[in-house]
Amino acid sequence: MNKFSRILYPVSKCNKRFVSGPKRKYPIDPEHERSLPVFQYSVSNENYRRVFSWGNICTGALGKPFHKSEENIDKLKHLQFPKRLTFGEQHQVVTAACGFGFTVFAVQSDTNQKVYGTGINTDSQIGYHEIRKDHPLEVIFLPKPIDLPFKNPVKSKVTKLAAGRAHILVLTDEGLFTLGNNAYGQCGRKVIPNENYSKSNYINHIENIDDKKIVDVMCGQDHSLILTEDGSVYSCGWGADGQTGLEHFNNCSEFTKVNGDIQNEKIIKLSSRSDFVLALNDKGQVFGWGNTEYGQMTLPGGDQQVASPHYIKMLSNLGRIKCIATAGAFCLVLNDNGQVFSWGYGLLGTGPVAELSRKPIHIPDTLFGKNDYQSDSTVIDITCGLYHSAAITNHGDLFIWGRNKNGCLGLGRPEDQFFPLKVAIGGYVEQVICGIDHSIAICKPFI
Amino acid sequence: MPVTSCFQLTLAIIKPHVVKNPIATQKIRELIIASNFKIVKFKRKLISLPEAEKFYDEHKRKFFYNRLITFMTSGPSDMMILTKENAVKDWRDLMGPTKVFKAQFEAPDSIRGKYGLSDTRNATHGSDSVDSARREIGILFPEFNIDEWYLKEEQLFRLNKLSFYEDKFIHVPIDR
Repeated sequence: MNKFSRILYPVSKCNKRFVSGPKRKYPIDPEHERSLPVFQYSVSNENYRRVFSWGNICTGALGKPFHKSEENIDKLKHLQFPKRLTFGEQHQVVTAACGFGFTVFAVQSDTNQKVYGTGINTDSQIGYHEIRKDHPLEVIFLPKPIDLPFKNPVKSKVTKLAAGRAHILVLTDEGLFTLGNNAYGQCGRKVIPNENYSKSNYINHIENIDDKKIVDVMCGQDHSLILTEDGSVYSCGWGADGQTGLEHFNNCSEFTKVNGDIQNEKIIKLSSRSDFVLALNDKGQVFGWGNTEYGQMTLPGGDQQVASPHYIKMLSNLGRIKCIATAGAFCLVLNDNGQVFSWGYGLLGTGPVAELSRKPIHIPDTLFGKNDYQSDSTVIDITCGLYHSAAITNHGDLFIWGRNKNGCLGLGRPEDQFFPLKVAIGGYVEQVICGIDHSIAICKPFI
Repeated sequence: MPVTSCFQLTLAIIKPHVVKNPIATQKIRELIIASNFKIVKFKRKLISLPEAEKFYDEHKRKFFYNRLITFMTSGPSDMMILTKENAVKDWRDLMGPTKVFKAQFEAPDSIRGKYGLSDTRNATHGSDSVDSARREIGILFPEFNIDEWYLKEEQLFRLNKLSFYEDKFIHVPIDR
């Protein structure tokens, strides 16, 4: 008899009084015992994401209802720190997009309701919702589903979302859906003069463009850009600053191919928040067009409105660019080594005052948490709101800086932040979406 | 009774992107009332292309003319005639600097600093002088006769014999 015999023959060698007989309340059945589950510490579902929101709560864009009362009116006006959204616990949020006072979420679902919207809805940008007949809701305080006409709702998925000032683009496996304001043709359909957008229930569907699949969407304030699988860019909407890049300054109501310097390039990423556009190709080169009043791009002629894509030469000595982001008046790029550069006008992340710089400034890596204790910490993603910027590191930390409009930085205080500072947030940040005066973060849980 | 100086008239426009944000519109209205402005006329209307071209005639040669015109005609705007002593200057002070990206930091509490989005989408318009106010009112409120208003109603506005209708956002003199 070896020392493991008790374990190997637990039933036969043990005292029978405990194993079976009338005194034992629950006799052990070896078959039953084997089928019982083994205790495991609880870990979250792999697809579960925590959703946090912060910023201006009055517009309803945070997806949190609030009660106005005389006492807490100042306290409640802004949510100055990230707060977890109940909506994120009820649905598997995949991605989100922030517009001017509204937010849209894409969720995993088997029905037609894969996109939810909350916030300002004066242009039906988050679908038509009414309580009484013919009285559409102007503001919605909780995420409400937007019915999209899917052919195969079980199989199809929402892959990308983008939101402009008052319109959204929803990219799905079944093509692109556009909703909302179309005053400049930014929804890719014909402009109807004097259209009443608050009562419109029109969803425009574009399946593919020139027989090419759409792989990415991006919205400026009043124009839209799409990227196809072969790396070409199409645009429509407001062109008064040249932001459509179509070599004219008129509005365009149909997605049209952008040529210029990017004609033969394979573009992999686009970025636009206001009226300036950056595009990144597969070689890590950056192109830009649109409004460059604040030195986003300096051309020999000194034009402030550039209507066709131009290669930005000054970025060529920064190495291979990995990620791009544009805000209202400044831009950010991230290179292969995880270094972040900013230029333009605003709180660029290096000084206590708003400054104008036509040349890229390197924001020190230490400010993004790279120190002796965390020497492997690098920035992997950058995003811009209209006046603020955010960066995510490989450790899932979120760093934010810029103008603190209505508490959109989430640092718990009302002052502007002029260098990157870590946001206290309960999760590994995967995606951060910056709007105009609010932000959304989608995080992986810690366990 | 002390004679107070004449009330000035000025034209204020709340631009399309703010009109589409009911919360911001409400805040601006509260600010107008709190700053002691009286509203003589108010209407929400889509500015037509000929009206906009006439209105911004002075900017015709500037590079931003096209985008200003296309922006102003992109949706309904709130137009109002405001009155107060020094209405022209007071309204421009309340609005803040024209360029929003700079107003953000120079005058963060002004209307443009708070509700402007970009240099074109700068929330509000205000006349820059008494003469241009007269010209601009003539374009957007052709039915409004300024001289007649000064004769008949200006005194009532000055003596604050008014009733305020919040739903129409207008002050109406009380007739006796």
